[in-house]
Amino acid sequence: MNDEKNQDSKLKDDQSAAVLATATFVVFFAVYWFLQIQSVRELLELARG
Amino acid sequence: MPTSILGPYTRTIIVGAVIATTLIFAFTNARVEVWFDIQPLFEWMETTWFGVIGKTWGAAFAFVEAIHLLGLAMLGGSVLVGEGRVLGLIFTDIPARTIIDRTHRVFVWALITLLATGIFMACGVAMKIYYLPVYWYKMLALAAGILFHFFIRKPLLVRDLEAINPWLLKAVAISSVMVWFTVAATGRWIGFSG
Amino acid sequence: MLNELVYNFAVWLDDTPWSTLLHESYYMYNWVESTHVLTLMVSLGMLFIIDLRMLGYALPEVPASKIAERLNVPMLVGFSAMFITGILLFYAVPVRSSQSVWFRIKMVLLVVCAVNAFLFHKRLNESVSTWDTEARAPGRIRMGAALSLGFWSIVVMCGRFIAYDWFDCQYDQSALVEFLAGCVDGQVRF
Repeated sequence: MNDEKNQDSKLKDDQSAAVLATATFVVFFAVYWFLQIQSVRELLELARG
Repeated sequence: MPTSILGPYTRTIIVGAVIATTLIFAFTNARVEVWFDIQPLFEWMETTWFGVIGKTWGAAFAFVEAIHLLGLAMLGGSVLVGEGRVLGLIFTDIPARTIIDRTHRVFVWALITLLATGIFMACGVAMKIYYLPVYWYKMLALAAGILFHFFIRKPLLVRDLEAINPWLLKAVAISSVMVWFTVAATGRWIGFSG
Repeated sequence: MLNELVYNFAVWLDDTPWSTLLHESYYMYNWVESTHVLTLMVSLGMLFIIDLRMLGYALPEVPASKIAERLNVPMLVGFSAMFITGILLFYAVPVRSSQSVWFRIKMVLLVVCAVNAFLFHKRLNESVSTWDTEARAPGRIRMGAALSLGFWSIVVMCGRFIAYDWFDCQYDQSALVEFLAGCVDGQVRF
């Protein structure tokens, strides 16, 4: 019984850690690639004059 | 019985601490200070055997680059097949456990190949990459990818997958593909920079 | 004669405005080249998994026919992307590419790889029902998988070596290199 409870709490811990990590990745990925594409666009616009 | 000294949410607390530390590091002067401090390490890297060989024999460097690419292909294959199964896109009639475990083994060998060849290449062009922002982005993505794979994904996926929220499984698989794509793309961009 | 024909064709390609545009465009050229390299993860990634399965090193519990059948589609999608970006890369730098020893070896090996893949799949389809669930494929299939791994590894190496100018026609080369690279007497474009 105690062991089952322990396993359940470990699963919750693993899941919440995964939620935190994946949310960070998705936000970072979106911001990083948005800024990269934006900087390339600005450079191209400058080049075109 | 507590699972550890940090209580039942040990892993979550550690992940939160790592993210917070990375953010503090990224947005304060600490980043620049550490960057200055580790310059001697990169100077030393160029004087090692790897550095000397990499700088002296262009053919040896190119050969190792090619092995690095082969490792990348193997890593890509293992990640795409493994995450494809987690997303339910491929091998849906084969138990997910089998695909996840077996692709993990290929992944580990690919990662070892990439790290070994990557260290050799880094020694050959240490001072060039030291000044390249994209190299540091790659290292950040690589560290995130390794930590994510071994510290988040693997412990989660050894469990009964039925007990895990399916949306979380999808998020983990997509994050994994994103982070390894970023590692590869930033790595390629090192070649175009400097 | 043949080398002059190749050279003249490459010069003609080089003179087309789109070739210059692609070559001179920092972002477009790098984007095409990055796609060419990163698609390795899809095309060769799938191919390596198939070959390693036949050799008994990857996914031994999954029937060989399923691996070959299911991974074929993403593999071919990856190869198609590599083929298109590869043509664009050649189009951007036609003279140097057509006279690169590594490029020439790579093209020959790609034909060898295609023949090997054809024979591999033919033998696989003929016999797979008798050993489908075995961890290792029979000797002949394993040989095909090992050759595939070897040939493709050399293709990747040659592809990487194209970037280096060791054997370029613009430098003094030995008679052997000049022969292999197809350098043309008195050529003015490199």
